[in-house]
Amino acid sequence: MNVVTRDLALARQDQFGHRIAARLDSATLELPRDVAERLRAARMQAVAKRKVTALQPAHAANVSADGQATLGGDEGPRFWHGIASALPLLALVAGLVTIHVVQTERRARELADVDAALLIDDLPPAAYADPGFVQFLKTDH
Amino acid sequence: MATERELSDFLKSVEKRAFKRSVYHVRDEEAALDIVQESMMKLAEHYGDKPPAELPMLFQRILSNCTLDWFRRQKTRKALFSNLSDFESASEDGDFDLLETYSAVEGSQQAESAEDSTRRAQILREIETEIQALPARQREAFLMRYWEDMDVAETAAAMGCSEGSVKTHCSRAVQALSKALKAKGLQP
Repeated sequence: MNVVTRDLALARQDQFGHRIAARLDSATLELPRDVAERLRAARMQAVAKRKVTALQPAHAANVSADGQATLGGDEGPRFWHGIASALPLLALVAGLVTIHVVQTERRARELADVDAALLIDDLPPAAYADPGFVQFLKTDH
Repeated sequence: MATERELSDFLKSVEKRAFKRSVYHVRDEEAALDIVQESMMKLAEHYGDKPPAELPMLFQRILSNCTLDWFRRQKTRKALFSNLSDFESASEDGDFDLLETYSAVEGSQQAESAEDSTRRAQILREIETEIQALPARQREAFLMRYWEDMDVAETAAAMGCSEGSVKTHCSRAVQALSKALKAKGLQP
């Protein structure tokens, strides 16, 4: 019984609310012209500033000189672009390796020159007074 | 994602009701226009990429927030300039007078000669007056629920309260309006 009464009351409430709403609708039809114009201008301004989610651009069709169109034609340029980006890095690495090799070579040559100069030079007499040198001569090599 | 046309159509469908709702809340046409414009801009700028089905709820929420912001700004302004306003005379034209506000509307309505039109306009004015006299939350719930044709759950979501609160607000609003209109011998 209570449920029926409550539902009836809700139905009457909704009916009353919608009747009021219908009356209010007529108020919107009678808005002054300047208000309607300002609302229209505000709407246009808002639409002009509409947020648009950035979409992934589709591959453009490449049209060659003879009129042939190809899709996805930007794969080649992308490859060459990658190669071009890697070139300076490759040049740097090659340069560093070359410098290292040249310096090692030069150092080895300098040491060899010193050894050769020592070997071909005359032995000074004072060397024979050195016990270490005498011991060196006695050892079997 | 709503297209430009869909967004425009949606705004066109709600702008006049939004304006009148704002007028009922703030009782100032200029302020109401500013609120509606700000709401439109926010919807377009921040949610213009949303599906069309989501736009009504978002717009109602934005409109409510913009109206609240306006009241907050007014409160701050009144607090700031309260001392200056003490020196103004009580008979300044800036004072709000409900009868003056509606005199223009009344004048335009008198141009219609038909008795029904006059009667209809009178009922509408009384309804508008009584709606403006409702407490803010009751008015908001009532207008969203019945004028914007939102269901209880949608109204609750837009108002940021429970469905029970919406039902209570709507029920009290209907009772208050019914009682006030009956006392004036009017039937909506």
